[in-house]
Amino acid sequence: MILKIAWRNIGRNKRRSIIVLGSVVAGVIALIFMDTFMNGMMYQMLFNRVSTNISHIQIHKKGFHNNKVVKDFIPGYQSAESKIKTVKGINSVSKRVIAFGLISSATSSSGVYIYGVNPEEEKSVSIIDESLKDGEYLSGGSREIMLGQKLADKLNVSLGDKVVAMSNQIDGSIGSEVFRVVGIFKTSSSEFERTYIYIPAADAQRMLNVNDKIYEFAVITDNYENVDQIKERLITELPADFEVLTYKDLLPTLIIQMDYYKETVLIVIMIVGLALIFGIINTMLMSVFERINEFGVLMAIGMKNRKIFGMIVTEAFIIGIIGTIVGLVISMVIQWRLASVGLDLSMFSESLNSFGVGAVIYPRLDIENLLLSVISIPVITVIGALYPAYKAVKLEPVYAIRYV
Amino acid sequence: MEIIRTEKLEKIYQDNGVPVKALDDVDLTINTGDYVVIAGPSGSGKTTLLNLIGALDKPTSGKIFFESEDISKKTKKELSEIRLNKLGFIFQAYNLIPVLTAIENIEFSMMLLGVPEKERTERALAIMDELEIKELADKRPNEMSGGQQQRVAVARAIVNNPTIVLADEPTANLDSKTGSNLLDLMEQMNKEKNITFVFSSHDKQVIERAKRLIILKDGRIE
Ligand SMILES: Nc1ncnc2c1ncn2[C@@H]1O[C@H](COP(=O)(O)OP(=O)(O)OP(=O)(O)O)[C@@H](O)[C@H]1O
Ligand SMILES: [Mg+2]
Repeated sequence: MILKIAWRNIGRNKRRSIIVLGSVVAGVIALIFMDTFMNGMMYQMLFNRVSTNISHIQIHKKGFHNNKVVKDFIPGYQSAESKIKTVKGINSVSKRVIAFGLISSATSSSGVYIYGVNPEEEKSVSIIDESLKDGEYLSGGSREIMLGQKLADKLNVSLGDKVVAMSNQIDGSIGSEVFRVVGIFKTSSSEFERTYIYIPAADAQRMLNVNDKIYEFAVITDNYENVDQIKERLITELPADFEVLTYKDLLPTLIIQMDYYKETVLIVIMIVGLALIFGIINTMLMSVFERINEFGVLMAIGMKNRKIFGMIVTEAFIIGIIGTIVGLVISMVIQWRLASVGLDLSMFSESLNSFGVGAVIYPRLDIENLLLSVISIPVITVIGALYPAYKAVKLEPVYAIRYV
Repeated sequence: MEIIRTEKLEKIYQDNGVPVKALDDVDLTINTGDYVVIAGPSGSGKTTLLNLIGALDKPTSGKIFFESEDISKKTKKELSEIRLNKLGFIFQAYNLIPVLTAIENIEFSMMLLGVPEKERTERALAIMDELEIKELADKRPNEMSGGQQQRVAVARAIVNNPTIVLADEPTANLDSKTGSNLLDLMEQMNKEKNITFVFSSHDKQVIERAKRLIILKDGRIE
């Protein structure tokens, strides 16, 4: 019966109830949208980095990640490769010859990371072949080079132009090779576009004067969430002078950012919650003041304070629940649309690119965060009703009955 | 049997810091089956006295015995318990719960007492039958006339078989014919069921029908 009264009281001042309901709905939508949007952005940052060059797991000779020197090639990579391929959960492996070097055109030059790859293998761990804006992916022929749009602009080269790549050899002398630009790629990271070039592995080995040596295994697993277990397996399989690094080891700041973001969600919930609480306090107080006389009567006929309190809180709770459900449904529709279409932010794409996100954000639902919002909103409406309910039960019955 | 006895009852209000003596040295006894009218000019303290008898307020000094128990020092919670179990109220402005229908209003006070739903409905229907308001069962207060609302209020007040029913100017908002009908009804309840009624009023009709008349003037019984 308390529930019935609470429900009818909500229907009593429809306009006011709809306003409160609207603010709850808006709060829920804002929370969920912000959350899925940020979550999608974070995920895309990670996904872009991982799928262009980081991969899930990298294997080097110990120390190579921090200091890419030519002498630190992977010793006996053939046997290592067959061991890696026996580990369960590994999907594909690409062998890379990696060096730091200089690339020059007729007009300009720039420091770059040189990726010597086997084109077919590299395709299996990277989306670089899908990121070409102009030209073709490496065909397997020699003296082909792919570079980023930003770097091409800087060097002032286009398809078919010649560039010279240079790098230190083990003995300290300089190796150099001439390449012809066959492909220009564009990625969501301007940093990557400016500093990475792709050439055939054999050309890289010749330039470094390291016959048949490689420097990195880039590994893609079946599920990026399981990399830690696979890392453990690889460490036990491989010699001790190898280093095995997951994308979490390789992108520590991004991972910290993502963790930090979980806390941001809490803060945003608190801010939205605070705004909601004040809205609820305000409207519930109004509705309590309008009913002072009624509360007086309820008290006179012996209704306990506890029940009066409960009735007012129930009113807010009903609104909270309905608002959350409505907000959730609307959010799901928005989410469902945007998850496939994405949110086109090309107008901000310059700054987004420097974050490595890309111009189109695909919101992603994180169930944990969703639950948090869905549970916290009704709780918040209840919190907002506490003070008005307290006000109501503090009324003196005599005063309340006389009140008109 | 004695239901209520007051001893040197005094109530002083603070009106913006100015003390207003609303009741002064009131000694009064009400017995089972009484049909008492408290009369007196406006401001004489009728409502104040009813509120004290009705366990809605506490006296400044003096004692109120309700069934031989001093209630003047009881906590709010205890008073609320007494009101729920022993008292019925009828107000000048009917004061039904606007979002509930007539029958729900009557059931409400039984609900507060924890009467099971089935019994609630049965008892509500029975009392409505008695007061000839059965056809109002599903109407909300704003769909009823003042007289009809006040009948429902009477039903609400007596449905829990209270020890005493207090009615503060129950006819003040009704025309004299409707008021007279309502008084017939309460008189009948008093006779048939031996329900004790205490009214406050300055309505001539009410005063004429009083079995016992208490006249207040400036907070004192004359
Ligand atoms: N809450 C209050 N604060 C201050 N003074 C009050 C309060 N309630 C009543 N009074 C004063 O106490 C006196 C008695 O008031 P009370 O309401 O009991 O009179 P009444 O006989 O019921 O009058 P009426 O016939 O107008 O209803 C009046 O002078 C009134 O102004
Ligand atoms: Mg009065």
